[in-house]
Amino acid sequence: MMGKYLIAMTSITYAMKAKSLLNDSRIYCEIQRTPENIGSGCGYSLRIHDEPDKIIALLDGFNIPHKDAYEYK
Amino acid sequence: MKQIINFDNSATSFPKPPGVRSAVSEAVSRYGGNPGRSGHKLSMRVSQKIFNVRNRAAEMFAAQPENVAFTPNCTFAVNMAVKGIMQYGGHMIISDYEHNAVSRPVYALSQMRGVEYSIAHVTDSDEETVRNFERLIKANTKCICCTAASNVTGRILPYRQIAQLCKSKGICFIADCAQACGLLDISLDDGINFICTSGHKSLYGPTGTGLLITDGEYALSTIIEGGTGATSSELAQTPFLPERLESGTINTVGIIGLGEGLNFVRTKTVNRIFTHESQLCSQFIEGIKNVPGIKIYRSDCKHVPIVSFNIGDENSQQVASWLSDRGFALRGGLQCAALAHNTLGTISQGTVRFSPSAFNSRQQVHALIDAVRAY
Repeated sequence: MMGKYLIAMTSITYAMKAKSLLNDSRIYCEIQRTPENIGSGCGYSLRIHDEPDKIIALLDGFNIPHKDAYEYK
Repeated sequence: MKQIINFDNSATSFPKPPGVRSAVSEAVSRYGGNPGRSGHKLSMRVSQKIFNVRNRAAEMFAAQPENVAFTPNCTFAVNMAVKGIMQYGGHMIISDYEHNAVSRPVYALSQMRGVEYSIAHVTDSDEETVRNFERLIKANTKCICCTAASNVTGRILPYRQIAQLCKSKGICFIADCAQACGLLDISLDDGINFICTSGHKSLYGPTGTGLLITDGEYALSTIIEGGTGATSSELAQTPFLPERLESGTINTVGIIGLGEGLNFVRTKTVNRIFTHESQLCSQFIEGIKNVPGIKIYRSDCKHVPIVSFNIGDENSQQVASWLSDRGFALRGGLQCAALAHNTLGTISQGTVRFSPSAFNSRQQVHALIDAVRAY
């Protein structure tokens, strides 16, 4: 997979925590609102530039709950 | 106006560190968004700021940042923890040194939810105090909730041993740490399941701030539900922390100020602040101990820097008022801790409470000693 992706997070706090830990691992990401067509209700996502599988593995390693990854358009 | 010397820092610390004052000012002028509610820059900027404070508190108390909930004060935190654990009934234990922040919600639960409670007697012996808690544990005991340090005498309860007792019996331990955080090296590593504290006393944040910190072992029912910025399409309250416990817009200005209060404590260190204030207490006790009729409510136990005293049978409010007229702020009366005063035998007289902060000096204490001697 190439391009940019979104990983939907369960909360702004977990999104912030994930961003902080990923930054410590020199992985750049941004936080943005989860688009309506992806999430139900309010939510935040990590906008990433790397392979989502790799990032998700890291999040799982950090015990940070998350939802699915989506290609960002 | 004559300068007031504040020795009522156990109620709320004043003055605040310069960093807190500038952070509050900056928060009002720059961090105007609502955190966790939108994706625009104003909201995201303040969200990051709030997370940074949450993370700082988590580091200080050995918690995960998501397990740090901001509350309006310690009383809210205690209510949320006690009612969240005891909502469906059962038995709990408190001490006879409690502030009304603990005793009133427990009493209310007994009236409205049929919760049973017992009161453990705190003695001058830590071992005996722990045994007093232990012998009250029953088959349906769900939690012990007690102060880590009395707001009346400063007596430090054996909270580590009580935590061990709770762990060994499989019951929850909620600690009212309003007078302990910022003065004792207290954290979840001590075995406490819920640390409840104010942010505006020895953590030097603004009023309107408090913290509820958990190790995550026990889930809490909520006492307040509403908008959290998460799971908004569902009627059920957001299930995960900290949002579950933070319905409605949080006190962003206060929390940003609290962040600088935490920085202040971290930089000065808990040990140095404790030592400085304890030395002021020793100086004060030494200076007043020979005043005719003086009664000082201290034992050989460990204390946080608080000294309660009376002068003969004088009404404590009257003594505090007399000192106030001379420029000293001390608290008379019951300090919202009727149980503790019943235990001390001071329920009718109350006590005058001296509680210094990191900003008080020996000269100020010397001036207060002169005033007490002149009463």
